[in-house]
Amino acid sequence: MTAETPDQQRPVRLIGAWFAPAVGASVLGFYGSFQLQEETGELIRHSFFNDVAPPAAPYLFLAALTGLLVFGFLRHATLWMVGQPTAQSVLREIPHRMRNAVRLGLAQDKVRRDRYAGIMHWCIFSSIIVLTFVTAQVAVHDDFGIEFLKGDYLNFFTFYGDLFGLVGLVGVGMALARRYFSDFHRIRWDERFEDHLIILGLGLVLLTGFIVEALRIAAEPSVFADDAGMLTLTEDAAPFAFISYPIARFIELFEMPGSQVEGAHFVSWWSHVTLSFSWLGLIVFTRLDHIFFAPINAFLLRTDSPGRLSRIPNLEEREIFGVGYIQDFSWKQLFELDACVRCGRCTEVCPANLAGQPLSPMHLIQDLKAHLADVGPAVQRVGHEGGDTRAVSPVAMVGDVIKDETLWACRTCGACVQECPVMIEHVPTIVDMRRYLVMDEARLPATAQGALENLETRGHPWRGTSLERTTWMEGLGDVPLFDGNQDYLYWVGCSGALVERNLPITKAVFKLLRESGASFGVLGQEETCNGDPARRLGNEYLYQILAEQLVMTFKEKNVQRVITNCPHCFNTFKNEYPQFDGHFEVLHHTEFLSGALRDGSLRATHPVGEDVAYHDSCYLGRINGVYDAPRQIVEMVPGANLVEMRRNMSKGLCCGAGGGNMWQEEVGERRVNHVRSEEAVRTGAQQVISNCPFCIQMFEDGVPAVQPEEEGRIRPFDIAELLERAVFGPGGGEAKEPAAAAAVSDGDRET
Amino acid sequence: MHFVVCAKQIPDPETPPSAFKIDPQKNEVIPAQGIAPVLSQFDSIAAEAALRLKEAAGDSKITVISMGAESAQAAIKQVLAMGADEGLLLNDPAFTKGDPHTTAKVLTAAVQKLGDVDAVFCGRQAADWDWGQTGLLMAEGLGWPSAIIAKGVALDGQQLSVERVLEDGYETAQAPLPAVVTVSNEFGEPRYPKLQQIMQAARKTVTTWTAADLGLDAAEVGEAGSRLRLEKLFIPEKEGKVELMEGDTATEKAQALVKALQGAKVL
Repeated sequence: MTAETPDQQRPVRLIGAWFAPAVGASVLGFYGSFQLQEETGELIRHSFFNDVAPPAAPYLFLAALTGLLVFGFLRHATLWMVGQPTAQSVLREIPHRMRNAVRLGLAQDKVRRDRYAGIMHWCIFSSIIVLTFVTAQVAVHDDFGIEFLKGDYLNFFTFYGDLFGLVGLVGVGMALARRYFSDFHRIRWDERFEDHLIILGLGLVLLTGFIVEALRIAAEPSVFADDAGMLTLTEDAAPFAFISYPIARFIELFEMPGSQVEGAHFVSWWSHVTLSFSWLGLIVFTRLDHIFFAPINAFLLRTDSPGRLSRIPNLEEREIFGVGYIQDFSWKQLFELDACVRCGRCTEVCPANLAGQPLSPMHLIQDLKAHLADVGPAVQRVGHEGGDTRAVSPVAMVGDVIKDETLWACRTCGACVQECPVMIEHVPTIVDMRRYLVMDEARLPATAQGALENLETRGHPWRGTSLERTTWMEGLGDVPLFDGNQDYLYWVGCSGALVERNLPITKAVFKLLRESGASFGVLGQEETCNGDPARRLGNEYLYQILAEQLVMTFKEKNVQRVITNCPHCFNTFKNEYPQFDGHFEVLHHTEFLSGALRDGSLRATHPVGEDVAYHDSCYLGRINGVYDAPRQIVEMVPGANLVEMRRNMSKGLCCGAGGGNMWQEEVGERRVNHVRSEEAVRTGAQQVISNCPFCIQMFEDGVPAVQPEEEGRIRPFDIAELLERAVFGPGGGEAKEPAAAAAVSDGDRET
Repeated sequence: MHFVVCAKQIPDPETPPSAFKIDPQKNEVIPAQGIAPVLSQFDSIAAEAALRLKEAAGDSKITVISMGAESAQAAIKQVLAMGADEGLLLNDPAFTKGDPHTTAKVLTAAVQKLGDVDAVFCGRQAADWDWGQTGLLMAEGLGWPSAIIAKGVALDGQQLSVERVLEDGYETAQAPLPAVVTVSNEFGEPRYPKLQQIMQAARKTVTTWTAADLGLDAAEVGEAGSRLRLEKLFIPEKEGKVELMEGDTATEKAQALVKALQGAKVL
């Protein structure tokens, strides 16, 4: 099993493999040009063959293209500029950003997450790069009088020119196969005329390139036959033009007179040049603009954790809190809209979308993009005149363009962000609009409102709980309170303390910590919600109050290191509390426990002879990159056999509860936890193991719905519960209610 | 139009049973540690009703009144954040430990002092003691018509049209203004305040009136003026008993079970 590290920490690698052929060949080209310049070879590429056009012609095209690109860029840029400054300066951490631009932009790390598309895209991309270089060398040779395309290098040059022409055609072929000869659905979710134009156009550019080359080969000997010792293509050199030479031979079969061949060459040259520049011109008008926007967006990509949402500064002094108008997004968020290539990868992995719920990240981005194009110019004009830019649009961005239920369906699981090949960050954009709904408009689902009100009045989101924060301690003997002298604070969290099903998990973690000999304490009644549900639901104000309060408590109590059993608490403490000057060393229980197993302070001796499917929670896995620790625990439990689910690690599927959806009624065809439970059932394992109280609750609820037969039903457990059995023996060393009973009663509530 | 909303701060009804304690000697609820009191849910629905009328009528004002200790400011601010205009706290040591009658007396005095009130909205009952009398007694004291347990309220000229919840449906009643309405949970969910309103509410100052301000004698309000006496406050004990049916055969056990059930008057 190979575990992935999160993208943030991933070293720059494989770039060599990606670029070696393209860059290597071109560098060699330059090398060759200088090495061979002084030698006299009998082989040379003839400048201005056939006098197809005045030498200036291609440069006029180039100038026109450049002008068009600049015009297009400025036209886009004026729209981006209606946005606000970014929270994080894009000029900070330049080396990190450059690395992202190389790794994600040039080396296309994300594109390769779809293998087929990765190969296809590499073929096209490297072919365009190399052939641009080929063309540039011809220009230098022809127009600047530096005649280096001769001798052996000309052979080599011919070879890789042909090779990458072929590579490009393979790429185009793959693209055509996917678009026209397969039922590959996602590229057709928003198919437009330009998509056909781009791929067919590129195919024609490459084909005409070969034809021009072949006709030149076919025609040249007749032209230069008596120019002593200056044959362009000898029989020896023929194998290097391994595509165009056979085509030339094929053309010769028609025994056309020389003038006719030259005429054909003339026509195809012009077609090729016109097509090439026109195709490049598409950059301005179509999604081909990703050629530039993707690497730029990689550069602009946040350098901090994807688990961190932005902090709204000076909330008390503001009049607007969320983003309800397009101009309230940052310019970077608007820029991203233009980078979108409609590939659909985000929507394909979106848990809400998989369950038929009303969210498609791709359409969300495209709808915002269209809205920006609609109202952006007017916003800009009115802004210049000092008018009210909010009155510009006849439709409401949030509500009309983007429906409320679309925003509420988001799990903030980050799957879309993870997959996006052009590095769009959908989640912060969605949360910004939620902030508008909650704080500016007070328009939110009743259940979410209930959770937020409960957070305000009771400091936890679990409305109607009959448990206290100390209930879990019953029967555990002496539970030490954190006094500032212990090494760790064990943070139980609201879900760990106030939801019946999670109490055994909390107890298990506690017992394992105690068994490991760790020095730790708990806060008991003094715990309050750290604010995560409020922040993810869009109530940044409430979040800041709760966060500031808790940071203060932690500091007063001299908390340095925290162990959590909830990945959401983990993420909040680790990635978001530094925004409030709360810097703590944060461990998820799986990290601590796997360490304790490795150093021998915990021993898993009792066999658990079952297949266990492991479910990566989003906030531990994809967002924080902890994939290995939990798997190591399972591997160290004797007899337990780890089974991977179809979607795992960075491709793991959300349980459905993230982003505050734990407290919302789901709208749509299915429920996300049913989808994920089905995937767990399909592994054939006896247990599904996770590391998050929400995931466990969702499985407890979802499994009985998709597996009504109680006999042989897959049982959801936290990894601490599994380890508890392995360390203390069956029953965890004490009699306790089997979790299966909880599953049944939850199943009864299923409608 | 000037509407008044009566808001009561109560011990959190969601206090976990294990944390709910009483003092049997003093016949008092001991405030649970770390569990803050809340605005009675029915009162927030009454506020919602008043807000919707205000929106429909336009050019109106809502005053929220709470009788309680300084901590009741939080309940007042909550209604202010929902959109009420002014807050009024009726705070006097003499007001404590009253009954619905004395509470209604204090609130009535406040409404009379305000003077220009067109309608008073109360929750159908306070979610702590559940008497459900204060609103009615206020109507009595003010000499106004009242409509209780409303699920809908609308202005109809100078009349108030009220949909009242009945056991098997609802009826629509008309009342001339001024009037008192008590609002039931069937009315709908109270709104979630916008952040701007929360901040504005936080900046508003709440006026406090004492018994003297209201011209009330300490003897006629609070414990002194109460007509109801609380005899005994206790938490009912729940116990479960298991009795195993004796018998050699299933039939004998079943017969024993039937007898036991008949004995317990279940059958």
